[in-house]
Amino acid sequence: MAIDGLIVLDNNGLAIIQSGFRSSNPAYPLLHIHALKTALNKATQPADVDPVLYVPTLQHETPSACCHVKHGELRFLCPVSGDLDPLYVFAFLRTFMDILQEYFGHISADTLRDNFDVVYQLLEETLDASGHPSTTYPNALRDIVLPPSLLQKVLIAAGVNGLAGSSSNTHPFASPIPWRKTGVRYNNNEIFFDIVEELKAIVNKNGTPTVSTVWGKIISTSKLSGTPDISLTLSNAQVLNDCSFHPCVRLPRWARDKHLSFVPPDGGFTLMEYRYAPAGSHPVAVPVMIKSLVTIDERTLDLTLTSRLTTRAIERIAVEWYLGDGVTGASCIASNNASWTFDPRTLRLRWEMKSVSPSSSYNLRGSFTSTSKNVRPSRAFRVTFEIGQHSFSSLKVEQLKLSGELYKPYKGVRGKSIGDIEWRW
Amino acid sequence: MASQTGQDAKFFQRGKIQEFRAELHAAESKDKKFTKRKTVLKKIVANITMGNDMSPLFTDVVQCLGIPLIEIKKMVYLFLVCYGRSKADQIHIVIPSFLQDCNDRNPLVRALAIRTMSYIPVPVVIEPLTEQLRHCLKDRDPYVRKTSAICVAKLYTADPRKAEKGGFVEMLRDLLVDSNATVVSNAVAALCEIGDRQDGVTFRLNLTVANKLLTALGESSEWGQIYILDSLLRYVPDKHEDAELMAERVVVQLGHANSAVVLTAIKVLLYLMNYMENRKLIDYICKKMGPPLVTILSSGPEVQYVALRNILLIVQRRPSVLKNDVKVFFCKYNDPIYVKLAKLEIMYRLAREENAREVLAELQDTRGFRRYASEVDIDFVRKAVRAIGRVAIKVEAAADSCIKALLELIETKVTYVVQEAVIVIKDVFRRYPGKYEGIIPVLCENLDALDEPESKAAMVWIIGQFANRIDNADDLMDDLTFGFMDEPVEVQLALLTAAVKLFIYKSQSSTSKALVHKVLKWATEEVDNPDLRDRGFMYWRMLAINPTVAGEIVLAEKPAITNDSDRMDRGALDQLLLHTGTLGSIYHKNPETFIRGAAGRALTDSPALNPLSRQVLVPLSLPAMPRAIQIAGPGPVEPSVKDAASAPTGGEQKPTPAVPAHLIDDGDGGDGDGEGEGHDDGDYDDEEDHITSASKPLGLDPYANLDSAFGGGGGGGAGSTAGKSYADDLLF
Repeated sequence: MAIDGLIVLDNNGLAIIQSGFRSSNPAYPLLHIHALKTALNKATQPADVDPVLYVPTLQHETPSACCHVKHGELRFLCPVSGDLDPLYVFAFLRTFMDILQEYFGHISADTLRDNFDVVYQLLEETLDASGHPSTTYPNALRDIVLPPSLLQKVLIAAGVNGLAGSSSNTHPFASPIPWRKTGVRYNNNEIFFDIVEELKAIVNKNGTPTVSTVWGKIISTSKLSGTPDISLTLSNAQVLNDCSFHPCVRLPRWARDKHLSFVPPDGGFTLMEYRYAPAGSHPVAVPVMIKSLVTIDERTLDLTLTSRLTTRAIERIAVEWYLGDGVTGASCIASNNASWTFDPRTLRLRWEMKSVSPSSSYNLRGSFTSTSKNVRPSRAFRVTFEIGQHSFSSLKVEQLKLSGELYKPYKGVRGKSIGDIEWRW
Repeated sequence: MASQTGQDAKFFQRGKIQEFRAELHAAESKDKKFTKRKTVLKKIVANITMGNDMSPLFTDVVQCLGIPLIEIKKMVYLFLVCYGRSKADQIHIVIPSFLQDCNDRNPLVRALAIRTMSYIPVPVVIEPLTEQLRHCLKDRDPYVRKTSAICVAKLYTADPRKAEKGGFVEMLRDLLVDSNATVVSNAVAALCEIGDRQDGVTFRLNLTVANKLLTALGESSEWGQIYILDSLLRYVPDKHEDAELMAERVVVQLGHANSAVVLTAIKVLLYLMNYMENRKLIDYICKKMGPPLVTILSSGPEVQYVALRNILLIVQRRPSVLKNDVKVFFCKYNDPIYVKLAKLEIMYRLAREENAREVLAELQDTRGFRRYASEVDIDFVRKAVRAIGRVAIKVEAAADSCIKALLELIETKVTYVVQEAVIVIKDVFRRYPGKYEGIIPVLCENLDALDEPESKAAMVWIIGQFANRIDNADDLMDDLTFGFMDEPVEVQLALLTAAVKLFIYKSQSSTSKALVHKVLKWATEEVDNPDLRDRGFMYWRMLAINPTVAGEIVLAEKPAITNDSDRMDRGALDQLLLHTGTLGSIYHKNPETFIRGAAGRALTDSPALNPLSRQVLVPLSLPAMPRAIQIAGPGPVEPSVKDAASAPTGGEQKPTPAVPAHLIDDGDGGDGDGEGEGHDDGDYDDEEDHITSASKPLGLDPYANLDSAFGGGGGGGAGSTAGKSYADDLLF
């Protein structure tokens, strides 16, 4: 099991970062870049390219595969040869991108170019040249690769930088817990939990959900000194199904009494992910209702969106509709100061409402024009929305106990719901 | 942050070798803090990454190795890793620095030095490396130990015998019980890498070590957990209880956030189940495996794709795993096409009496809004139509509504929909003889719409098979044979058989007599294809010798299609599942068939192996492999089609029949791609074909091995379905 290397392409398909491909011929990475470009050119939609591409190589070499992921305008490629688990590759890519995010704030071609030396150091540490991901815990990484902080840049500019500065901790991996570094100190000890739940549903013509699932995650930010051992009790843990946890969580303990027992990493991390399964077999209700009147032949549309919530406002509702090839434009009237746009590049009509108050209705009507005789709009709308201070599962943090340290931490909990609905008509 | 933007981007300028050399020399003076040299080195490294050859600077750059600044060391080592191998004649000048750094006070430097040395597999370096590695494997710092463990695998690649003689494999084994979990997992990774080589030492785990590794699991990083879990496949349980206890400990890992850990855990569990006896526990584990798989499906499309391809394998072997989760596989408009196709295949496989209505409604709906969707998705629509037919074949209770749905589809008159429907209705007829023949007239009305070989052949088969129920069968056949000489071979074969059937049914009719004569004459005299000619001769002889017996043979009762006829052969499935999550499971092929030097995996026999698994055990033999794995999918196709003949298919293996399988009846002629030697027309030699096969309807045909099903007894049958099907086909 090994990853041959990593290539980052910018939006022009040029390599920004390319790890050393030590054991193979120099054309190897190029073959992969080429294979991806060819596949992208061939595909009608870039998103339709297989994420694991088969790359035939020159006759006497073993063929290989190219796993690739898009991030913003960048593409991350991992060529692999040998029978490897592609999930392992994708998991690594995900982790590596998270690390970059953590180090540079956001990932773009410019940040990577500006900090290429740090990126290379990170690559060296996270993926050793035999293709095994090694150190990927941000806590441990920060000991060996210094993040490009402003302070450090100043120090370098001033010329005060020596061996001592760049490796203050001469004993990396001294920590007995791989995900947490030793000697963390804070004046204010705090830990925050963000409970984010996403409703993913398919609604059929009659307005009833065919499929509706709520995926939730608890994102945590820990600023706690020393080695805190936390025991967290959730208010209604029995509605959580299919849970998966950060490696710090003691799995047997959860299996026994549904308590989250863990020593958190320092900084941000995703504590757990779950699926919300409500009691009984009723699917989670979709909080909006759409009535649509579309006549394809006359190219007119009339959509009415109604909030089914009675107490809360739904924020940032967006309805997206693919109008089909040949559509040149649309002209609509949106009620209640909502806005609409038509993107001629993606051929999608987008209707946005900033905040929909309880039980209110919004309307969008208009027409679109097309050069082709047969318009083939997609038979489904995509609806996305957010609801603040709300969670479908009404999951709450009941109690937080801390042992191993003497202080009493501050705990903050926030909830947020988002939705991604396919509405068929 | 803003102030620093663009600062380092300036290094990305093409520089000339001489300039760099001069700069490097100039930087030596008045460079107390080494900042000047660092800047130049950065420029050089930036140039390496742009693909410019910096190797002429070798001697100048290695001078900097003496600078006690770790950032500079890292850059010089990066340079060495890139050019060390090509500068084998000069590398000796670096050796003293290597040795010095291997004994540095800073563990980072020690690890860096030993790591870099292992990347330069030239004898001058390997010699001192073996020396240093011995110390480093016992270093007091875990970071050095874990780095050294991986270096052993590198050393092994460079010089296997030296590594074995030096006792490094044993030292790695000692690291398996190291106190630091990261060291343990890296030692496991290194041992696996060595064990995966065909020429490597075999790496087996005994119960004690396996249990120790399981204990280390909890403290390992996610990557370490993957290595450790994967290595458990190298443990062969002797007793049912051992396998069961271990499975119980692995089940916990299904709750991990890393999807790769989850899939590897599932792989181990599927493996261990082969050695388990406790039915209840097996059912429990199957139940536990479903939810994490569903969770993986909530990730990005790439991860979904990998998971879906694996789920397809898993549900074939353990159908209970996701039996209540069919809704998860309903396609969304925004799903990329590869995800949609994968979901579709799973959807009909999960169809049961309880959920058939749901599945059918979704398939129809899918079709409904697809019809208006972009042209790209024709392939998808076709698959959906086929899936409806498959549900009809699989779930008897739903057959009526499926047929109704298919008839509705035919009424749309959309050419490719009609063709797909005809193809699949042919199979439905075989599954439920005497039940739905009433719809034949509707099919006949659409004869003109059929312009693809597969659908045309299917229609011809239907006409021939049911010639006695179709009043104007001879007229239809007469029309169809009009362009006989211009038809593709598979249609010609179908026409030949159908003409013979028609003649047997209606031997009194002068049209059919003239027709069969005409067709036989064409087939034997005008056509170049040997299959067609041989089949023509055989029919001719049979009819000439004894028409009654010929009738009995040609119209003999056909073995009905079984429920899970499209399932993969069990033994092959067991073997593929050992590769759960890997490329092999994506392509649905054993890795040794498309990766040179990969060691295959096979279930190992032990007293605990359950009898059914043993019965279908496919021994590991290179390069031959069982044919039944030939499910076309994305990815490469086995390089050699000759393997089939030499594949060990148990006692059932028949010599290749003198006449091709579909000589007598090619009702399944269209599905035969890649199955029988007779069909292999060499298009697999062209690698280009494999990549594009995903977009070709034929290449991705999920029923590709259907004809083995026609003959074979279905999923639970012996491990020689492919071999058997030839024998059975001859009975038609």
